[in-house]
Amino acid sequence: MNTNTVLEVQDLKRTYQLGSIPVHALRGVSFQVNAGEFVSVLGPSGSGKSTLLNMIGALDRPSEGTLAIRGTEVGTLNDNQLAELRQRVGFVFQFFNLISRLDAIGNVELPLTIAGVPAEERRAKAEQMLEKVGLGDRMHHKPSELSGGERQRVAVARALVTDPSFLLMDEPTGNLDSVTAGEIMDLVDTVNQELGMTVIVVTHDPDVSSRARRKIRLVDGQIDSDEVNNN
Amino acid sequence: MKFKDTLGYSFSAIRLRKLRSGLTTLGIVIGIAAIVALLSFTQGFEVSITDQFQDGFSTDTLIVSAQNPMQVPGGGVEPSDFTMYTNDSESIETVDGVIFATPLVSSRATIESDLTSTTAEVTGVNYTEFAALYSTTFVAELGAIPEEPANDSVIIGQSLYDPWNNGTYFVDIGDSLTVTINAGLPTEKNVTLTVVGVLAEVGGSSFGVGPSDSGVYLTLDTAVDFFESDEVKSIVVQLVSDNEATINAVTLDIEALFDYEATVTSMTSLLDTMTTMLGTIELLLTGIAGISLLVAGVGIMNIMIVSLMERTREIGILKALGAKGRTVMGIFLTEALLIGVIGGVVGIAAGALLANLFSGLLGGGFTMGGRTPSDLSFGTITPILTPELALWAMFFGVVVSVVFALYPAWRASKLDPVDALRKE
Ligand SMILES: Nc1ncnc2c1ncn2[C@@H]1O[C@H](COP(=O)(O)OP(=O)(O)O)[C@@H](O)[C@H]1O
Ligand SMILES: [Mg+2]
Repeated sequence: MNTNTVLEVQDLKRTYQLGSIPVHALRGVSFQVNAGEFVSVLGPSGSGKSTLLNMIGALDRPSEGTLAIRGTEVGTLNDNQLAELRQRVGFVFQFFNLISRLDAIGNVELPLTIAGVPAEERRAKAEQMLEKVGLGDRMHHKPSELSGGERQRVAVARALVTDPSFLLMDEPTGNLDSVTAGEIMDLVDTVNQELGMTVIVVTHDPDVSSRARRKIRLVDGQIDSDEVNNN
Repeated sequence: MKFKDTLGYSFSAIRLRKLRSGLTTLGIVIGIAAIVALLSFTQGFEVSITDQFQDGFSTDTLIVSAQNPMQVPGGGVEPSDFTMYTNDSESIETVDGVIFATPLVSSRATIESDLTSTTAEVTGVNYTEFAALYSTTFVAELGAIPEEPANDSVIIGQSLYDPWNNGTYFVDIGDSLTVTINAGLPTEKNVTLTVVGVLAEVGGSSFGVGPSDSGVYLTLDTAVDFFESDEVKSIVVQLVSDNEATINAVTLDIEALFDYEATVTSMTSLLDTMTTMLGTIELLLTGIAGISLLVAGVGIMNIMIVSLMERTREIGILKALGAKGRTVMGIFLTEALLIGVIGGVVGIAAGALLANLFSGLLGGGFTMGGRTPSDLSFGTITPILTPELALWAMFFGVVVSVVFALYPAWRASKLDPVDALRKE
């Protein structure tokens, strides 16, 4: 294994049980991601994109096959170890998933709070991260007082504040207009290029996937194509 | 997650749903308030009764009487025709462990001063022996308890002396007092006596023995002559000591002396009976209050399960950000803990207030009007809220809240993050 590999997926399968009917969400997927890559995962609805991303984010375990994050095999971990691994994964969701009663800085701090980082340290990091996503003047606003784009910036700041192994985004622009979506993706570009952050983004949006340097296309739980972006 | 942060996070969750949290807390408040009010009141009651016992009687005495003093009238036991006479005290004095025995003869009578008249329990006693027995309560505040009293001496209790509590005295030292028995009957007779002493305030009720604030005390000989009977109500026995062995041995001997027809009551056993009775009442009241606390606990559980469904997504987010099962459990238990603590504090305050209000309604706390000579009061019942009671109440409030939150908190901790995040 290359020391530069942050993610290694081998013949990954995930089967859900819907009553007595097995649903094969992933039917054997293999690929590797190196540090600093910007990967987009495309595919029709129901093709298994979110299922794959959830496993990369240590939210779920494989049914078969292996998935290693920086060499750590996810399938063998217990619930607590999985939770600790998640503290080092930045996740951005389509529906922002902010805690509505906490202000912007409270939300950005939350993963650090959970990890037990001292108050002053996490406050400083959160402030720094909010400045970086351009919300230095919105720190004490509640999510309800922010626009969709601003909420997603808060979510990006929250994902990055733990200095994660990679930034995972599941349809991050699905709830935003194209202009705002472009701004968010500009931010992601910057994070990828300036910080060298590995980014994996699941999307429908060609504008989003065109920014990635590698495209993985999933169809029916299998990789249909995995190619370098040529534009 | 650090406890301080969990606390802050949980508190923000409670604050968000003010009405719901308030109502949940109210359940705990009611339960705790009930416990605190009932128990502080019973404790106050217990202390007031115990005080009266200790004021009124000495523990190294026995009461020998023809009837059981604790017997409820019509309680099913056949009344015996056994009677005791003044000279029975002499045979009691032959028993080992007895220093002396003094007879009490008494009757209800009408007493009349220049001012007005009233009825009271008139008792004939040997002043010297009675004063020795009740050295703290058979004490003259005005006048004196004469060692060699004249035949027409009379000593009266404080509330008879000053019945309206306003300085208008029923009689004063040196005044005469007329005692009439069988008033209105063909056998009506009276005697005129001179007041030689007024007792200092005894407080509370005498329970039929020992000096009383509403008592009238003549010399034994005068009383026997006047009542034309040497039948005694009871004989009070002074023991050499108040240890249990002495009390038991003397009790048995005296019972044997009267062929087991007399009732011998030790003050200690009377106190024990009283304490046991109060203990039972206390237990019952605690039980009732405890049930209300349990109901509050079920309320907490119910609310938590409902809010669990609403907060599924939040739990999913927390888990996605790396929260462990025990972190999530900690957040929910801390919410319950906060509800328990807040409910406990408010409940203790409300309970103390309630107990004081209650005792006020019963005449304690506030004094309404004056005392009357026939007033049989239990004294002022001041509710007693000991730090221990407050701590226990707090402890139970918190334990009930947390215990009933265990199941919902456990369910929250077991939620699968992916499922939780899919929830709309
Ligand atoms: N928890 C689940 N239980 C049952 N089926 C599921 C579950 N999660 C996903 N699936 C199914 O797995 C397939 C892949 O879902 P998903 O990964 O969400 O697709 P995508 O994100 O590409 O739209 C779908 O057919 C979906 O219905
Ligand atoms: Mg999806």
